[in-house]
Amino acid sequence: MIKTLKQAFVLIICIGMLIPAAALADRVDLKGEKITMSILGIAGWFPSKLGVDMSPAFADYAKNKYGYDVQFTFEEAPFETLFQKAAASLATKSDDYNIIVSDSQWLGGFAAPGWIVKLNDMIDNNPNLKAIEYYDQIVVDTYMSYPLGSDNYWGFPLEGDTMVLYVRQDKLLDPNERKAFKDKYDLDMPKTFEDFEALTYPDFVKILEFFTRPEQDFYGIAQHYSKVYDFVCTAAHNYIWSRGGRIWDNKTGQVWGILNTEENAKSLAEYKASLQYAPPGAVNYGNSEVMEAWNGGKVFCAIMWAAVGQYMMEPKDGQAMIVPPPAHLLNGDGKPNRVYSMGGQPWVINAFNDKQKMQVAEDFMEWWYTEDVQMEFARRGGNPVIKSVLNKPGFEDIKPWFRGYKWMLTTSKGRDFWHNPMYAVMMAKQQEAFHSYITGQVKDPNVALDYAAYHVQKILYDHGSTKLKPPAEGAKIELK
Amino acid sequence: MMSDSSIDRMVLQKFATTSGRGWLSSLENPKYLQHLLLVPVLIFFIVWNVIPLFWLAGMGFYKYVLVTGEPLKFVGLHNFIEIFNSFEIWHALSNTFLFVIIGAGTQTILGIILGFIFWDSKGLPGRRIALTLIFTPMIMAPLASGSFFRIIYDPIFGILNYFIKSIFGVTIDFLGSSSWAFPSVLIVDTWMWTPFMMLMTLAALGSVPKAELEAAEVENLSWYQRLINVVLPHGKFILMLGILLRTIDSFKSMDIIFTMTRGGPGNATELIGITLYRQAFNAFTMGQASALAIISLLIAIAFTSIYLHVLKKKESFA
Amino acid sequence: MEDRNRNKNLKRSLYYILLWAISLLFFSPIIWMIICSLKTRTQIITLPPEWLFVPTLKNYIALFDMFNFTKELMNSIFMSLSAVTIAVVVSFLAAYSFSRFKPKGTDLIMFMLLSMRMVPAAAVIVPIYLLYSASGWKGTHLGMILFYAMFSIPFSVWILKGFIDGVSERFDETALANGGSRMHIIFKLVMPQVKPGLIAAFIFNIIFVWNEFLFNYIIGGKKTATVPVGLAQGFSAGMSIQWDFIATLTTFYSIPLIIFIFFFQKYLLVGMTFGTVKGEV
Repeated sequence: MIKTLKQAFVLIICIGMLIPAAALADRVDLKGEKITMSILGIAGWFPSKLGVDMSPAFADYAKNKYGYDVQFTFEEAPFETLFQKAAASLATKSDDYNIIVSDSQWLGGFAAPGWIVKLNDMIDNNPNLKAIEYYDQIVVDTYMSYPLGSDNYWGFPLEGDTMVLYVRQDKLLDPNERKAFKDKYDLDMPKTFEDFEALTYPDFVKILEFFTRPEQDFYGIAQHYSKVYDFVCTAAHNYIWSRGGRIWDNKTGQVWGILNTEENAKSLAEYKASLQYAPPGAVNYGNSEVMEAWNGGKVFCAIMWAAVGQYMMEPKDGQAMIVPPPAHLLNGDGKPNRVYSMGGQPWVINAFNDKQKMQVAEDFMEWWYTEDVQMEFARRGGNPVIKSVLNKPGFEDIKPWFRGYKWMLTTSKGRDFWHNPMYAVMMAKQQEAFHSYITGQVKDPNVALDYAAYHVQKILYDHGSTKLKPPAEGAKIELK
Repeated sequence: MMSDSSIDRMVLQKFATTSGRGWLSSLENPKYLQHLLLVPVLIFFIVWNVIPLFWLAGMGFYKYVLVTGEPLKFVGLHNFIEIFNSFEIWHALSNTFLFVIIGAGTQTILGIILGFIFWDSKGLPGRRIALTLIFTPMIMAPLASGSFFRIIYDPIFGILNYFIKSIFGVTIDFLGSSSWAFPSVLIVDTWMWTPFMMLMTLAALGSVPKAELEAAEVENLSWYQRLINVVLPHGKFILMLGILLRTIDSFKSMDIIFTMTRGGPGNATELIGITLYRQAFNAFTMGQASALAIISLLIAIAFTSIYLHVLKKKESFA
Repeated sequence: MEDRNRNKNLKRSLYYILLWAISLLFFSPIIWMIICSLKTRTQIITLPPEWLFVPTLKNYIALFDMFNFTKELMNSIFMSLSAVTIAVVVSFLAAYSFSRFKPKGTDLIMFMLLSMRMVPAAAVIVPIYLLYSASGWKGTHLGMILFYAMFSIPFSVWILKGFIDGVSERFDETALANGGSRMHIIFKLVMPQVKPGLIAAFIFNIIFVWNEFLFNYIIGGKKTATVPVGLAQGFSAGMSIQWDFIATLTTFYSIPLIIFIFFFQKYLLVGMTFGTVKGEV
């Protein structure tokens, strides 16, 4: 009897083990293999580097759980050329890069030609992947879906990112400064996180004005203004969206009449006006320059990505206070409203990976979104995206910017744009238009908006993303 | 020029040990040899010049955007019409022509002046070093020079503005202001290539027979007269060569400007090379980029024809 | 007499000082760059600039620690040397033919060779990129070397033809009359006489290939990256613009070329003028 019982017991265990095995039936067995994976990351961008730095730890997981050895090699390219580098490689169906760190807007560009793996099947067949709970819908919208708003998933969120306001705490809390400010504007400067939650743009401008002191080589604000990549648009969108405007209709693809409105012109003008509180040369400010201005002690505050919080801790530790960026007033005089650009990067899987590498990529993602790894990512300064980690008590204290990041990470406060494959062309046009305006080449913001709206819609129309043709007279608009 | 007899002597000396004829004898026939010698070059030429050229010519009539995943679509003259109607491209072309004319012009004038200044410098201590210093800008990778001038021009951290601020009390945003960007970029280009024109001038001066120069000295001709009557007739060709080379190279400019301003601010420093690059490798709109490339090629061929015309004149002159 | 001599000497000295001033003026941005490469990043961006500082070679050491730098350097050296050597050899053969036999189509080919060089880089890259992608040559060493060779052929052909034209045909005739083979003539008679041209072609082209960035960036792959490509990638690799990296890499990478133009100055002249001026400046 015992013998039979024991046998029965063993049998039950075996059957029990078979069940998960059946679910994993699609797994490629890699036992005993040695595999090299290459990751293409973003040069000079800390979160990408962190992902890359942590990936060797996956080797232990792979060894223990699945019995294979994996090694990683890395390549990098800066933001503005990474898509190009990846695309040039992927267009030749190369598996030079097995996993690619992508920017959120590029999803369409990678997905439409079939260069990356559509993840729906992978997720559905892998219970671990299916079980991942992301913190907010905005994570899915921004980093995973193409087209925007659909439930076709093409990327896994590597790094969540929102905009936050870095403030020189020492100057903010300095009693002399506070008194001088109160005397001048009859207003108290904000002091706490909650104060900044309530801060609206008109008051914010007063603070910028107050701290713009060229004779001391100190200025009010640093934010993105550069023509390079997406910088000027990212910052301009903050103004446009927060004041209630839109840049396109992502269902119909209409841009003309939506982007080039009077309201948006006012928003652009407001954005341009902020330049007077920025250091000279600000029109060329991209990520590096904003950080350099901040770390060089040249500005009172900076509207910048939470992702680089680690590197905004100079000039001295403890000087940076990280709070939500100011709310704007709807239409310039209505209720406070805050919608800022979403940042962050997904990573995508090369569609031309061989079966083995595909399996490794899948295992890798499975590992990355476990709570332990996400916590470690957070501890090292990355921005995690899963609910269990963000909701953990004490999360906000792990890093100084986590509170701001978490607060902004929601669909009501963040927005991404254009996961369309033609994004690069559209971007170039809009960048050119906006930058021409803020540098004074174009005097009237309406002209810049008309130019951008016409060209962006034309590109969408030419490539079939919209059935709406832009008005013919738009072709004659010149940027001057 | 060697005399015929000395040539003969030299040849016979070298032929003390004559090579055997062997299997290479078939190569002796000039009829075959002349073409055989060309074969390697022709292969290169056909594969890397002719085939791409036809591809380019063809692609210009198609719509092919790599990132949409759509297959090629024939669109006839659509791309060319787009280019013709595009404000952006006309602007880039006009910027480019301005850049070439002002740039090449300045470099030529400065180069000629420098060439003359250095012409008599045989006794200069450390002459080799001095010349090396002058020629170095030419050999720096444009990418590197551009990067480095970005630092020098930077309004906050750059050394130029440091001096300007101490003397005049203002900072100039060289690369960020729409009025300063174009001149700033031109200055860097001039810095890089004036030495080239100087080299050309020295070469031109070098091609003047010594006898004539000495005769001019003896006759005590003025500096100006010497230039017109002695130097120019002989050196004209080389100078023209230099100017044309510079013009053509300048037309292509991309690396150095791209690194400094990306064609900005706005599109103040957008040159046709940059536009082409952007269309091809930012937007991956291969069809349109090809059309623009064809147009650039036609412009380049026009320049080359002038160039060859001048060359032919030299042949007849010599 | 004394006075006039002294006057003359004074004038001469002033003249020499002027020449040196001009040389230093042109070289000054590069001096600045070299100084920066010996500073730390914070020192570079500090103003007023520290004129007296302790130079450090740390940057140079760090350069070699960067992943990929050594590989890139090896690639630069290997690909430049191979490509230009192939180009010069091939061009020499063709130049001999053009010069001596003047086959039909000589002028046309010479013209076309030159005009391709005059098209903006991106225009040339597009079809090559598509061609290479289709043929699988993208990212291969062979593909890049052959491309660079093609790049170097036009100039080489023009220079060498100019030189070979300058070698009297009597050499060929006498040799033939005495039983020499063409191969012998080409390699033993003519080639030694055009050595300056060969060197000029070599140097001139190696400068271009050494500094070449765009083609390698687009058409090259992971394995074939050269130092300029590394420069572009490392521009902002550390959360702010890596001025120290740029300065160091640029200085280091320019040293071989500077050495070249120091020793081979007269060949530069030859190269620039397509061989029409053959002597010392």
